[in-house]
Amino acid sequence: MALTLPPDVGVPLSWPSQPGNGLRRSRGLGRALRVLLALALALWFILPLVPLALWAFADRWSFPAVLPQAWGWDGVRTALAQGAVPAFGHSLLLGLLVSAFATPLGVLAARALAYHRVPFAPAVSVMLFAPLALPAFVAALGLNVVLLRLHVPAFAGVVLLLMVYALPYTSYTMRVAYGAHDLAIEEEARLLGASPWQLMWRVQLPLLAPALARAAFLAFLVGWSDYVITLLVGGGTIVTVPLLVAAAAAGTGNDATVALLSAAAVLPPLVLLLGLGRFGRRPNGGRP
Amino acid sequence: MRRFSRRRFAGLLAGAAAALLALSACSAPAPTHPGLTSWGQVTAAAKGQTVRLWMYGGDEQGNAYVDKTLIPAAAKVGVTLQRVPVADTKDALNRVLTEIQAGTKDGSVDLVWVNGDNFGTGKQAGAWLCGWTSLLPNMSLTNPTDPLLTDDFGTPVQGCEAPWSKAQFTIAYNAATVTDPPHTLAGLLDWAQQHPGRFTYPAPPDFTGSAFTREVLDSVSGGYKNVPLRFDQKAFGRLTPALYGRLKALAPSLWRKGQTYPKTSTELNALYAGGQVDFTMTYGPAELTKLVADGTYPAATKVLTLQEGSLGNASFLAIPATSGHQAGAMVVANLALSPQQQAAKADPRTWGQFTVLDTARLDTAERDLFARLPQSPVVPDFNVLSKNANPELAAAWVPALDDAWRRLVLAGQ
Repeated sequence: MALTLPPDVGVPLSWPSQPGNGLRRSRGLGRALRVLLALALALWFILPLVPLALWAFADRWSFPAVLPQAWGWDGVRTALAQGAVPAFGHSLLLGLLVSAFATPLGVLAARALAYHRVPFAPAVSVMLFAPLALPAFVAALGLNVVLLRLHVPAFAGVVLLLMVYALPYTSYTMRVAYGAHDLAIEEEARLLGASPWQLMWRVQLPLLAPALARAAFLAFLVGWSDYVITLLVGGGTIVTVPLLVAAAAAGTGNDATVALLSAAAVLPPLVLLLGLGRFGRRPNGGRP
Repeated sequence: MRRFSRRRFAGLLAGAAAALLALSACSAPAPTHPGLTSWGQVTAAAKGQTVRLWMYGGDEQGNAYVDKTLIPAAAKVGVTLQRVPVADTKDALNRVLTEIQAGTKDGSVDLVWVNGDNFGTGKQAGAWLCGWTSLLPNMSLTNPTDPLLTDDFGTPVQGCEAPWSKAQFTIAYNAATVTDPPHTLAGLLDWAQQHPGRFTYPAPPDFTGSAFTREVLDSVSGGYKNVPLRFDQKAFGRLTPALYGRLKALAPSLWRKGQTYPKTSTELNALYAGGQVDFTMTYGPAELTKLVADGTYPAATKVLTLQEGSLGNASFLAIPATSGHQAGAMVVANLALSPQQQAAKADPRTWGQFTVLDTARLDTAERDLFARLPQSPVVPDFNVLSKNANPELAAAWVPALDDAWRRLVLAGQ
């Protein structure tokens, strides 16, 4: 298997997607149903955001009016007064840092589990998944004592804990990707004289790019959306968007502020997701 | 690397387990005095300190008052004040408890806006610095025998927190739909039965809903004087059958026939704002003025003044025993007690929180600060609102009442 040469070395590697396409193309009623389903799904995702968008710019919206009675910038003003701008900066930094640490660790763990003989591999897999079962509140309360005793700076403690919470997502995503990844291709590259660096940059990375992007995105979300670890372990040193949203949502009459902050909080992940769609594809347009 | 990550996980989990064990076997150290014995020492030590004030962040007016008025004033006396917004004061207490576990001396929480069971729980765990309020010069402007300031929901304050604001349990109604407002709590319950579906209350253990059941307890017992403040099982057994009997009889007339209750006071407020019920209730009447002004609440919202009075409480600023900036925190607590800050905070256009100062102890210029405050179009003067103020029951009553409510009223339909 490893010694089989590709049929035509001059042609870039691509997945056998062309012949399969004809089979997957739906016609007639099936096609209409598919379009309908897609539309319904899109609606399902967009509908909850409509009241959010309306509330964000509603200065006055009392029952039973269907639409806000007064539009304005009160929500924006209050959100800014609560420190929304620095909070967005902090959230972005936290999400990116968590992603930057959890993604490579997830890759290493997944690769080891996929290709190497790991002692007690099932137990290791369970361990990697364990953070999902541990409520963040428990981890924050328990581990903060340890972090304080070790004099770990608050911000480093937050990144460390959130990284652990992001690991199940990154390692699982990458484990699946490695499951579908054909090692023979790497072996072929080595046989053709690729150096380890070339192998990584020219073969592994392009093949795994979509999965990597997905893993990094999920890890980003963990840092982006956390409340309890950021607050309890961070000790108030970093006020992020979820802290502002939770505090505002705990009160009455803050609907515009909460809506504006929440809607704004959806944007960065959305931009990242669209970026995923653009850059997270396999090379040569091959869609698996 | 893979082995590293495995070991890290094992370590983290073991650490978590150990920490949880330690937490459950919690025996906190007694709070220590920082060695500050005079106000001069305190102000000298406070210079240049950064104080983090953790406070419930759901009140935009409260946030604005701290950001725009208290923080600049603190900066003038050399203390950098930072506000940390939390969804629930328990979050601040939880952070302090982990700091106590870790033996931290330079904790991240320097000041907490607190009262009631959060204060009581913290005091039991040794979370608060005690015996420091007598150092504050502005404490002399409060009445040392004021029961609202000496006991916080039955927990003796003992200098473990400095008073900040007073509050009165307040029931508000929409005068456009309620044309015959009742004048007693018993009358309110009768009104609710005559107008099915137009009244409800948050399900205990919600703070506000729980306070409402205590109001009903006072009412069915023939006045607060008949309910002992200290909890005892005999009084509970004697007094509460009438309470739960009344609430059970009321239930079918409540919103959605009492089959479900608003889970929080915020949910009740939303029902009221949406016109689905005609009454709402709050332990923070200060918010009413703004909520009516910005159209969240109906314009005809009025405060129901009850002949028998209503429950009153005070909220405080507490300094955690683990805070590394206790002198700075004391300076801020003293500043917050100054007539200027208390008057600014009592202005309904700013926040509308009632003062804890005793006006008899103020000089004419200071008294004038309060006299000049505009009257809120919704909330009556504190003197009116707090007439016949009923003292809060000891904190031990609260879980017993909440628990029995769940068994007898919620489940026993």
